[in-house]
Amino acid sequence: MGRVITVTSGKGGVGKTTTTANLGTALAMRGARVAVVDADIGLRNLDVVMGLENRIVYDLVDVVEGRARLRQALIKDKRLPELCLLPAAQTRDKDAVNAQQMIDLTNQLRHDFDFVLIDSPAGIESGFRNAIAGADEVIIVTTPEVSAVRDADRIVGLVEAAEKGPPSLVINRIKPRLVSRGEMLSVEDVLELLAISLLGIVPEDETIVIATNRGEAAVYDTNSLAGRAYINIAQRLAGEDVPVMAIPDQQGMLERLLGLFGRRRT
Amino acid sequence: MSFLNGLFGRKRDSSAELAKQRLLTVLIDDRYKLTPEMMAQMKADLAEVLKRYLPAIDAEQIEVTLSRGEAHDLLKADVPLRRAPDSHPNR
Repeated sequence: MGRVITVTSGKGGVGKTTTTANLGTALAMRGARVAVVDADIGLRNLDVVMGLENRIVYDLVDVVEGRARLRQALIKDKRLPELCLLPAAQTRDKDAVNAQQMIDLTNQLRHDFDFVLIDSPAGIESGFRNAIAGADEVIIVTTPEVSAVRDADRIVGLVEAAEKGPPSLVINRIKPRLVSRGEMLSVEDVLELLAISLLGIVPEDETIVIATNRGEAAVYDTNSLAGRAYINIAQRLAGEDVPVMAIPDQQGMLERLLGLFGRRRT
Repeated sequence: MSFLNGLFGRKRDSSAELAKQRLLTVLIDDRYKLTPEMMAQMKADLAEVLKRYLPAIDAEQIEVTLSRGEAHDLLKADVPLRRAPDSHPNR
């Protein structure tokens, strides 16, 4: 029986879909059978991020309403045969499914896959509640910004209230130079504020923009920082005993020391 | 870099430190929805109860704070007692 893991955030635009696509791909590259599910009904996006938008015939709502069988709606990835996408409906809204239907759907999926990753919509309403309804575990994605951290804390409370166990955290878009100048919340700051366990960190990386443009996951580029970061997170998610990846600081030591003493008031 | 930060300490006026302090306050407020009025009322109620046992309590000086801890959050009340000369235990 596979694990059902929901990726959520509260705030939009922090990298939920990118994280779902890359973790799904990285897990499938390790040989796991993976289904990624777009639960953002009406705002379908996981398909374009993964480059599978041209193959959609049926969607999640078609399956839930019995117009298609699950097997018909699942789209095989271009490169990895063990990776499948269940796309969201684009012409319906979040009320087209309910929590019980999502629980039934995830229970079906966990029979055939080792990992079922659900890409949650932003917000704290029914779309989010549906997305976590069938989850065994919840991953919260945040960025080191006040609005994202505040929303993440709201989600922590809601996930705990839904008795999903303590969620784990992915901190995305870290800019090491800003952190070392004291102008961005550090990983330690965010962990102290949210008080949940750290699954992994992802540095800000242009590779993500390029990979998304092409509809390919960044993890295929094993030289890229973000690609390596997502592989590290997938390893940890799969239960491998590896430490969280260290982000190399692009700044030289001298420059850092100068920066330290020459820092101006903000 | 973190060891250097430890050595010199992050400046109090850095924007990251400011962000952290602001978030500490706002997260506690979000979680417990304790308005300043409720906080004042709680202090008054605390003073009333504690005074039954400790008449030396200075109700005006009670300080109640919520803070974020590792495993759980903390409600902390600092209750100063007036040190009256005749209340000395050795007399």
